[in-house]
Amino acid sequence: MRFNKFFTATAVSVLVLAATGCEKVLNEAPYTAFTDESVFTTPERALLALNGVYDAGQTGSTTLGGRGYPFGAATVEQGECRGEDMVNLAAFYQITYQGTYTPTTANNQAMWDNTYNMINKANIAIDGFKKVGASGVISATLATQYEAECRFLRALGTHELLVHYARPYLDGNGAALGVPYRENAITGSASLDKLKTEPRPTVAYDYSRIINDLNFAEANLPNTNGVIRASKTAAIALKQRIYMHMGQWDNAKTEGAKLIPATVTPLTPAATTSVIGGHSLLANPAAAFGLPGGNSITAENLFSFKNDPLDNGSVNGAMAQMLGSADLGGRGLVSISPIIWNNAGWLATDTRRSNLYRLGGTSNGTSAAGLAIMTTKYTDYVNRGDNCPIIRFAEVLLNQAEIEARLSPSAVSQRAIDLLNMVRNRASAAPATTQYTAASFADATALIAAILLERRIEFLAEGRRWPDIHRTAADPITALRAPGIPAKISNGTSGSALYGIGVPVNPGQPGIPYSDYRFIWPIPIGEVTQNPIIVQNPGY
Amino acid sequence: MRKLVVLVTYVLLMITQSYAQSNRTVTGKVTDDAGNPLAGVTVSAAGTTNNAISDAKGMYSIQLPVKATSIKFSYVGFGDVEVAIGNRKSVDVNMVSESKALSDVVVVGYGTQQKKAFTGSAAKVNPKEFAQLVTPSIDKQLGGRAAGVQVSNSGGGVGTPARIRVRGINSVSAGQDPLIVVDGVPFISGNLAAVTNSNTLADINPNDIENIEILKDGSATAIFGSRAANGVIMITTKKGDKGGKMKVNYDATIGFTSPGSVYQMLNAEQFVTIANEKRVNAGLATAARMSPTGTNTDWQSLVYNNNAMAMQQNVSFSGGTAKSSYFFSLNYSDQKGMLISNSQKAYRMRFNFDTEVNKYVKVGNNLTLSKVYDFDQNNGTNALSGSVASALRMLPNVDPYNPANSTGYNIQWPLLNQVGLGPNTIPVDDNYTNPLFTMNVNKYASDKIRINNNTFIEISPFKGFKFRSAFNYDMFSDYGFQGLDPRHGDGFSSQGIAFNQNILTERFVWQNYINYNKSFGSHNIFVTVGQEAQSDQSKNVFGQGSTISDLFFLQNNFIGGTASLQQSGGGYGKSGFQSYFGRINYDFASKYFLQASVRRDGLSSLAPESRFGIFPGFSAGWRISEEKFWSNSVGLKKWLSDVKLKGSYAVVGNPLGGFPYLSTFSAANYGNISGLAPNLIGNRSLQWETSKKFDLGLEMSILNGRFNVGFDWFLNDIDNLVLGVPTPPTAGIPGNSISQNIGTAENRGIELTIGGDIIRSKDFNWNLSVNYTNVQNKIKSLYTIGGTPVLTIPGSYNNIEVGQSLNYLYGYRYAGVNTANGNPMYLNNTDQLVQHNIANGAYYFANSKNDPTLGAQTSLGLADRRNLGLSLPTFFGGISNSLRYKQFGLEFLIRYSGGNKVMNVTRQEALLSQNFHNNGVEILQRWTTPGQVTNVPRLVQGQSNNINQNGLAISRFVESGDFVRLQNVTFSYSINSQRLMDHTNGYVKSMRFFMQGQNLALWTKYSGLDPENASQGGLDNAVSPQPRTLSFGLNLGF
Repeated sequence: MRFNKFFTATAVSVLVLAATGCEKVLNEAPYTAFTDESVFTTPERALLALNGVYDAGQTGSTTLGGRGYPFGAATVEQGECRGEDMVNLAAFYQITYQGTYTPTTANNQAMWDNTYNMINKANIAIDGFKKVGASGVISATLATQYEAECRFLRALGTHELLVHYARPYLDGNGAALGVPYRENAITGSASLDKLKTEPRPTVAYDYSRIINDLNFAEANLPNTNGVIRASKTAAIALKQRIYMHMGQWDNAKTEGAKLIPATVTPLTPAATTSVIGGHSLLANPAAAFGLPGGNSITAENLFSFKNDPLDNGSVNGAMAQMLGSADLGGRGLVSISPIIWNNAGWLATDTRRSNLYRLGGTSNGTSAAGLAIMTTKYTDYVNRGDNCPIIRFAEVLLNQAEIEARLSPSAVSQRAIDLLNMVRNRASAAPATTQYTAASFADATALIAAILLERRIEFLAEGRRWPDIHRTAADPITALRAPGIPAKISNGTSGSALYGIGVPVNPGQPGIPYSDYRFIWPIPIGEVTQNPIIVQNPGY
Repeated sequence: MRKLVVLVTYVLLMITQSYAQSNRTVTGKVTDDAGNPLAGVTVSAAGTTNNAISDAKGMYSIQLPVKATSIKFSYVGFGDVEVAIGNRKSVDVNMVSESKALSDVVVVGYGTQQKKAFTGSAAKVNPKEFAQLVTPSIDKQLGGRAAGVQVSNSGGGVGTPARIRVRGINSVSAGQDPLIVVDGVPFISGNLAAVTNSNTLADINPNDIENIEILKDGSATAIFGSRAANGVIMITTKKGDKGGKMKVNYDATIGFTSPGSVYQMLNAEQFVTIANEKRVNAGLATAARMSPTGTNTDWQSLVYNNNAMAMQQNVSFSGGTAKSSYFFSLNYSDQKGMLISNSQKAYRMRFNFDTEVNKYVKVGNNLTLSKVYDFDQNNGTNALSGSVASALRMLPNVDPYNPANSTGYNIQWPLLNQVGLGPNTIPVDDNYTNPLFTMNVNKYASDKIRINNNTFIEISPFKGFKFRSAFNYDMFSDYGFQGLDPRHGDGFSSQGIAFNQNILTERFVWQNYINYNKSFGSHNIFVTVGQEAQSDQSKNVFGQGSTISDLFFLQNNFIGGTASLQQSGGGYGKSGFQSYFGRINYDFASKYFLQASVRRDGLSSLAPESRFGIFPGFSAGWRISEEKFWSNSVGLKKWLSDVKLKGSYAVVGNPLGGFPYLSTFSAANYGNISGLAPNLIGNRSLQWETSKKFDLGLEMSILNGRFNVGFDWFLNDIDNLVLGVPTPPTAGIPGNSISQNIGTAENRGIELTIGGDIIRSKDFNWNLSVNYTNVQNKIKSLYTIGGTPVLTIPGSYNNIEVGQSLNYLYGYRYAGVNTANGNPMYLNNTDQLVQHNIANGAYYFANSKNDPTLGAQTSLGLADRRNLGLSLPTFFGGISNSLRYKQFGLEFLIRYSGGNKVMNVTRQEALLSQNFHNNGVEILQRWTTPGQVTNVPRLVQGQSNNINQNGLAISRFVESGDFVRLQNVTFSYSINSQRLMDHTNGYVKSMRFFMQGQNLALWTKYSGLDPENASQGGLDNAVSPQPRTLSFGLNLGF
């Protein structure tokens, strides 16, 4: 009986001991992430949080995560595939190319979701920077600079959305429905509930907030900031671009003038250096793309999103993979269209034709039927580390050329011609003989048309085509108006025989008029169902 | 014969009686539950060292001291029998085999209960039914064997775990898998591996399993508290028999596996016609040509194994001494899958041992070790190197091999990442890769080690009281390797990739509990109280190299320094459970039963202020057949020998993983610049999902146990359903959702099991068991937006809607092909006919199915979608038959399921693709001429989206998921044990040969490979076929 008691006592005490001593198994916390309370506590972590916002802009993590939405690659690919100057060869961008979007289309959702994801990360980080700035963890100046970088990204992101999901500013001076402009961090149900009471603002409201953010950015950013982060010059250049979309040419000119010296050197384009930031065109048009392969941080780049062998748009998004020749290691999914290549306005001797493009293999193969003109702007086929160009000095120049031309409707502006020649001459084998003169243009409209063509050539495969179509679709100068989504070469068409200056082009895919609902994308289904106050674009 | 034995025994008894004065002799016969004589049974008596062994006829004779009052019979695999002898000279006993003995009890949490006293709902599966089948793991064989338990094998991959759902789907976004408990301890389960499919249940050798009990209702599972919502599967492994002789069993099976079915694809000639027709209709030049050599490649036959060999060998030793028992086993299995690159090789070992230290203390240890190798391939249904996806799209007029290419395969290495053109002018669209190259050359391997060790001590200081303390260590290590060849396929763009990842998952469980039972007169009580703590830890680390310097370095592992770009990474996580539980059972005269239990669980993944939950359960039973009026009624007692009514109610939970209550920032690198960004917006008030489970049941035993009938009605009322409540994308919340306890849902249904011996005679026995389950799932509420309840969460193919079954198929209603122009037509919201103009992708109203006129432009949108059918089956079950004629046995299982629809995405995206791909034969019915009535629209190259609505459900591709399957058939012959023993001097005790067929026939209207290939959401997209296996085997007992 003694043993009975002994063993009973042992059993019961083990049980009690175990019951009271095991609570510690519950005291666990994440080891792979900071909590929101611990992240904004040191200068190093504040900088890490800022980098995280750029990362969200480079390779978003929500819909189609890791494919370079919005600015790591997709801005280029979607911007081109909506236009007529490149041809979608496989199924990859077919929906974009043919304009068969629905509210559930993945690319469409990815652009929307990932851009707003970046914006909220920016807004959360801004709150954090204010906190660390106020508590002295980092200097107030640095805190403000970080905030300015975030606000630059917010402006850039919202504008990307406006060109895809809203009618242009020039259609009714911004009276059309815009997209939500998110300026407050959403971190829980209270902020979320408030957001759900805010309807779509007007396009004009969005543009005013963009300008507001960019003014703040301009005031608080350093002149240069390493190209892959936002700088004062980038903020100014973006503002110049935004004012053009608004048709506010005077304001646009003011911005351009902050960067472009009063005197430019069209016959030696590389000799002109920006007023601030030390930007200039490089002698070789390919140099801004850091040939061969690798990143492109040059004097010509004002702002690019960083890609890197360790972090990029992957084989399903990176530009070298999507747009690169299949025989060089790309996937050859999108080629240059004969519509632009065969355009006689693009000189046969233009060095861009030979330095930035080649007849290469596509996803249709390397037989004559499979070949197409492919870009070599992005050449890191294996490691996919090409940066994504957002603003180049060439754009600042061509922007200003167009602004000057538009501000001088009655006479052909020589300043505009000089600025146009800066870009065009850089790619000319004999600038002195091929450059434009006042006599080249019948009137200002002809000059603007030439500038718009030059933009198509210079920024081909950089995603600028769609914003230009969008901007000019309601152009006050009717002759310059984009007709809507232009007619295109049929999806999947390739073949070396299609290319050659003067070779007739057959755009088998009809255009979509500006009035058609498909001119702008539908608001993704997640938004209209979860937040019904955001109304769908008509027709979808 | 039997009469003669009895007579002889009787005579012998009479003769020996006179000598039994001081030392008497007892004789008799030992038989098993089927009445066959049992040889080798040890007969002993307390107080004497005299032992006797029964002979081949089961006869024994033992000398006993006069004072002996009882004798004991023991035999391996059978429960000990102790019989009071009184003055008897002859004692015949009937021994019950242990598996049968276990069938009289129910294995519940932290103990066992008498079946007659069990008031919950559980289903027992006898592992003997499938231990010999060719199967990589037991879960794949559970289907159809128990009411209420639905098992789906989605695709035929050997490493893919089966989907087990107990009484329906009990969660939307949290776990839906039942808790697996092995020998009383929660077992690491699931698909845990870095680069292959991997089934952690494959670590258990099916031959080691003594019993599987599936606990279904609330009261049976409530003792598992927060982890019980999806049911609990209790697996008990074998033990040796104390005091028994060593018993050795050897089992071997060899099988041959082939795909159950393959798609009917176009041959080369048909392909050329169809492909060119697509192109011409799109205004493109023809591109497909017949090869001058008449190449007609059947790509499917090349990527699938025919008669792939599978073999398994198993040897086990069991037995014991007076105070100890042991069981140990070794198992080797090697199984090839359907796809040529899919296979599994396993080595498994078990050692179970227990011994009595003294009268009060018993200690023991159960150890399992296993080493499993899984080999797999890219299974991506949308991946260009996805094995099945690619095999379906490869062009039949193109050769898979090309001797001129240095690789021997028809690929364009080193120029392009493309298959050779063959006679065509363009390559296969979308750059689908040569599956023969990628499957033969690329490596997806997993090398897994499992250690599961359970050490326990039991202290029984006085009668009825048992304290058990058990410490369990469970470790699962997966070492994955992926080697992607630079010459073709997924490794091309990166010039070769070598990738390794090691995932180490560990679980420590410490349990301490007391079982106590006591009887006072007719009152019996049984109490369990205890505590359990569990700590889980998971670590992983990976290394990857791309641009591999030489193919040599792609064989088995990533070799440092062989890649120009090397990356590494890893992760770490910990979580824990802390629980207290108690249960009390009371019965009065084996007539009235009551049970109450409670568990308090703490969970590390919830906020400290809300991490504890209490989960109570109650049940009651009434054996009406024990009432006087019943037992006095001869008729009732004869026909319905045992009738029990029971009911239960419990609240159980479904836990959450991670730390969903915290808002966190995780690594977010900007290129190679380190960064941090929000990755989760937490919800501090998050709680577990709770299930209120109701069950009413009736159990009947007819004709003295010859037939058994079980009926259950159940309702699982689910509250606090955790939903990642979608947030508007413009909020920019990571993942566009915040987890909240917000929805409610229910599963209600009935289960019916009827079984028994239809024919029972000396030489012929036919046992039939039928089970049927009907379960209806219903979402009852979702979250609200600004106070307005949300009634629906539509997805691309499915919809979650209040009042409907979870994730029903949701899409456009197809209205056939316009006979005049070949455009597909749909019905819109208001039942108006709309045609989808293939040429420009726009929708127009149509006047009639025969009028080509494009009316006013319109559109199809969300509002035009309709319920196209349930994705979840509403009924399922099995019919198992076991026939025995003398030494011959025939067993077969028929499994059925239905009430659901399957969206055949394979048909939509691959078989009817409008790209330069091969197609299924259905495309031959395409519209070509005005007036033609068909269901397949006009072909136009590149217009898959416009013609087939890829990415959306449409009624055209939604088909019935009903099926009946002849799951397995086993024919066996056992050599007469007596004759065998005579011939082998008693060394070989049993020998059985068998022949089996698995998945021999499938009856279904479904046009795809197998309706079971559908995912839980009802989508079937390019998965490998279900295997059909023929096998032969042998069991030997020594």
